[in-house]
This record gives sequence, structure tokens and C-alpha cells, in this order.
Amino acid sequence: MSDDKLLVVKDLTTTFATAGGDLTAVANVSFDLERNETLGIVGESGSGKTVLSRTIMGLQPRLNTTVTGSSIIDGFEVVGASEDEKRTIWGTEVAMVFQDPMTSLNPVMRIGKQIDEALRVRLGMNRKDAKARAIELLELVGIPSPVERYNTYPGQLSGGMRQRVVIAIALACSPKLLMADEPTTGLDVTIQAQILNLLDELKERLKMSVILVTHDLGVVATRTSRIVVMYAGRIVETGTTRDVFYHHRMPYTRALLESSPKVSNKSHTRLVTIPGRPPNLLNLSDGCSFAPRCKFATDQCHLVRPELQPSIEPGHSFACWNPLPINSEAVLP
Amino acid sequence: MSDTRTPLLNVSDLEVTFYVHGHAVSAVAGVSFQIFEGETLGLVGESGCGKSTTGKALMRIVQPTKGTVELEGVDITKESGKALRSARTRMQMIFQDPISSLNPRRRVKDIVAEPLDCWKTVTGAERDALISDLLSKVGIDPSVYGNRYARQFSGGQCQRISIARSLAMRPKLLICDEMVSALDVSVQAQILNLLEDLKAEYGLTLLFIAHDLAVVKNVSDRVAVMYLGKICEIGPADTLYESPAHPYTEFLLGAALEADPDSPMHSQTLEGEPPSPMNPPSGCRFRTRCPNATQKCADEEPLPQEVAPNHMVSCHYPLTIHHKSTTPVALSD
Repeated sequence: MSDDKLLVVKDLTTTFATAGGDLTAVANVSFDLERNETLGIVGESGSGKTVLSRTIMGLQPRLNTTVTGSSIIDGFEVVGASEDEKRTIWGTEVAMVFQDPMTSLNPVMRIGKQIDEALRVRLGMNRKDAKARAIELLELVGIPSPVERYNTYPGQLSGGMRQRVVIAIALACSPKLLMADEPTTGLDVTIQAQILNLLDELKERLKMSVILVTHDLGVVATRTSRIVVMYAGRIVETGTTRDVFYHHRMPYTRALLESSPKVSNKSHTRLVTIPGRPPNLLNLSDGCSFAPRCKFATDQCHLVRPELQPSIEPGHSFACWNPLPINSEAVLP
Repeated sequence: MSDTRTPLLNVSDLEVTFYVHGHAVSAVAGVSFQIFEGETLGLVGESGCGKSTTGKALMRIVQPTKGTVELEGVDITKESGKALRSARTRMQMIFQDPISSLNPRRRVKDIVAEPLDCWKTVTGAERDALISDLLSKVGIDPSVYGNRYARQFSGGQCQRISIARSLAMRPKLLICDEMVSALDVSVQAQILNLLEDLKAEYGLTLLFIAHDLAVVKNVSDRVAVMYLGKICEIGPADTLYESPAHPYTEFLLGAALEADPDSPMHSQTLEGEPPSPMNPPSGCRFRTRCPNATQKCADEEPLPQEVAPNHMVSCHYPLTIHHKSTTPVALSD
């Protein structure tokens, strides 16, 4: 079965050795991704979503970092592979779009050259072919007058245009999996909509899979087929986008949904808040990491960590001892 | 305006022009609005539309080039020295980045006490009691955290401390510039609820500047939408969001992401990016991206007209109320 999956992540754990002790940023994460699927990874800051996405493609820091488990991208085991081996899949199998389009581009290099670089180094193209392909890519990501823009510097472009350039670089070697880490976070709403539409369109056209990493539930709601919700380095709930939004069982998922302000709310709607804040990853309890903030928490929650267990819908699972009822008419725990 | 209440703040024809290498950049180009006592006016717009500059010009952190800002009937653009300083105690500002707006090397209680120590309104035990009271009001335990340094706090806690500091002089008007943009959703909800509570308790009037439409709607009584230095629409929050009259507002709302998989996908996205404020288009500033623009829009600048009670729009072809459509609806002049 796993042959037709593009990505299989199993028990992936990333631990950083810090001055304060070992910090497990990602703990026993397992999920998989079909071809031509968009998966959303959602979580607040510090939930481990960025470290997870980097560990999946082997981009974690080399020093003081231990990775266990496995992450197999199209048959290639990333965990334990050397830098040289990983370089054979970076670009061609998997590529990443980072959050900040200003710092992920070289400010003193023309954007065209930055796209050429990927093509020439990874695909061995000559200067002329690389330039032609770079202009094609700029056109593909919707940059107007690509021939003139080829020679501009990142500083001459707006944030939205820069993010398009970053996407063009990521697409240069036609990856099968595109990881987008908060691709629209610094952007305005109208530009955000343009970039998300572009990613959708490119996914269909180029038959890619996309992993959308974000803190914004609005970004994943209409753009993904499945969602992984992370809290303190672990998956606390996963399922189809509809199941996670409408049939969630984990109280954290509900709290996250309820605390986001909605445009459809009346003005002065009081928001439901989660008390406290995310835990310090250096001294996590043995129990559920969300227990200190959870209104349904019992002694068991504080002492024993719940494992992911299946809910009734296929592919929907959650980690909670006192899950929310399946139907709203059921009695709350 | 048909409103008969006396405004706390009356801004009329405010202009801010910056000079960059000899080029005039009109950041705020003739903005007029009123804020009534006890209400919250939301100011939304994309980056570069001049919303932050407007907020700063009200405080005279940047100098207005033209226009008047009347706080309780006194034009503060004409004030200077002592009179300006004393006017500023009646309006306070909370900034976006909570961590950099607090001195990391000062103790929390000294940060909150700073305005009091400047003005010496209260001293000794009374001062300490007031600071403890302010800190407990914002949810920071003064006996535990009062002596800690600002650098030891998280973003959400720093924002709470900023709020406490801004309330120390018992201001009438609070200008909140993107105060929750840097926070996680669960913390954002806590701060927004806190702001609503304090507003009621201290009888505050708020100017809430933000780019997030959902956040603005959740706190505002009225909302003003800015585009390229001008207010294109202003009206009661609920009606403005339900039936926007300006095409730009409709696009902005259409691009806002709702955390709901069943919410309509962006059927129409606004193409392109805002023009440069160094060289704004003639007539209506939105006409270069507006699907309904005609020659008239290029020739004449649209003046604010009332489309519903207290709902003003600056557009030659306002969208009909309660009927969202993009077909131009010509009004008889």
C-alpha cells in the first residue's frame, strides 16, 4: 500500500540538545501523504510544525540535533541520509517555500540568477537554457513582464511578488512535494488570496502534493483535503478537513477553532479563550500536554499521555482521554 | 454625518506627506472621521494604505502636513510643548510588537509606572497601589511578576504590560496599532477580550487599527476602510461587512479567509497590487484595479456620499445595499 504514497512519516522525533536539557520539538509523529494531495499542518507557535516540516525533508540543523523514526519521500529515506544523498532529492523530489520572502532571497543577486542557480546546479542546464526556463517559471507564477523582471533585485519587488519568486525557485526542478511553511503569513489578505490560488492552480497543473504549514485555520479550511493538528510537538488530531472542522474530538482543536475571530460574527462577539499558554517543551509532564489548559482534564490526563486513537470516520484520529462526543446531543464528558 | 453626538476625536482633512529623495509620498491624503465617546472605530486596510501613519499622526508621532485633529474640541495639530504633552496623556498608543515596545532591561512595575513618574500625578504608596491595581487588571500578578524584567515575558504577557502602561494616565482614547497581529490565536482571543473588559471599565474610546478583517469586526462599532491614503468607506461594522458599498471593501471581504471549509472560496480575487503612493492615480485611487471603473473615475475624485444611515462611501458607482453584485449601479448625480 505504501508504494503509492508520496510521503510516509513514521515515529518521527526531533530532539535538540539545549543548555536547559533535551528539548523534543517533534515527538512520534506519523502520517502519510497521497500523490496530488494537499495536507495542512496547523498549530500555534512552538507546536513543532516548522521543525516537523524541516525534519521531513532533512533540513534540520546538524548540530545538537537528534532525529529518529523515518520520513520516506517517494521511496527515499531522509532520516540518516548524508547531506550529499539528501541533495539528490532536494529540488527534484521535495522543495520548500519559506515564510519570509525577504530573507529567503539573496538581496544582492538578481532574481533571475537565483532561479538559474537551481536549474544549473541541480539539472545541469547551460546558461541560455536556464535563463529561458527561469523566464518560463516567472511567467508560471504570474509575474508580469517576466523578461524585464528577470534582471531585478528582490528589494525592487513587493512582498507578494517576492513570494512568487520564492515559489518559482521551489518549482524550478519540478518537485513532487512542495512544502509551504507559512507561505502567506506576512502578506495582505488580497495578496494572500492570490498566492493561495496560485499554489492550488500549480498543484493541479504540475500534479504535485502540497503540505501547507500554518497557524491560520482560515488558510487550511478551504485549501486542504486533510489536516494534522499539532500541540507541543505531537499530533493531537488528524483527519479530513471536514472531520477536523466539524467532527473534532480533541478539546484543543475545538478551542483553537472557537478562539479564532470570524468575519461572520456580529460585532463585539466575545471570543472563547483557552486559559494559559502553550507548555514549555523542556519540562513536559508525562500526561497530555494540553491537560493544564483543558476544562475536561481529569487525573488520568495529567498522568498518562493519550495515544492517537481512531474516531468513527475513516482516517480520523485524536489523542484524548475525554474526547468530545461524536454527536452534539451526547452528554459532555 | 447624521450623527448628533459630540465626537471625542474629530479628524478633518488630515494629510501626511513624506519626502523620500525629494519625491513626495502622500501616505495619508485627506482623511476625515470622527470617533464618539465610548465607541470603537476599526481602521482596516492593506499594508501601505496609511492606516498606521494615520494613527501616528493623531498622536503627532509623525507631523501632519495638513488638516486638524481635535481631541475634545482642542486642535492638537496646533499645540506644542507643554500643551501637546498634556494632550498626549489623554490619548495613548499600543504598538504592534509587544516585545520591542518594552525596555527589556527594566522591571515591569517601573515600565508601568513611567508615565506616572513623568507626571508625578501620584507618588509613594498611592503610586505603588495604582501600579499593582493596573497589573492585576491586565492579568499580571504584581506580587509575583512586578519585579521581573520585560524580557522574561512572552508576547501576550508583554502586550498585557503595554496595556497596563497605556492605562496609567487614565486616557480617554486608546490607539491600538495592530496590537494582536503578532500573537497566536489563543492568546489573541485573550487580549481582545481583555481589551473589551477594560474598555467598559475605564470608559475608553478606541481606534483599532488592524489588517485582519475578522479581528476588526469583532471589536468595532464602526469600521473605516482605507486604500492608498484615503478612506473609501466608513460605516457601522455589521452593515459594512454585510453589504459593502465600495468595490474595494467587497474584494477585501471576499479575500478574507474564514476558518470554515464550507465558506465560499474566493470567487473573484483582486488582481495586481496597490499603486505607489509616490504616484497615485488621478480621480479615484482604486480605479486602476476596479472592475467597474469608467472615464469618470479617472477624471473626478469621488466624494463621500451617504448610502445608508452613517454609512458613507467614496465611489461614483457604489454597490447597491443588500445586493452584492459587481455590475455598476449608476446613481443619478
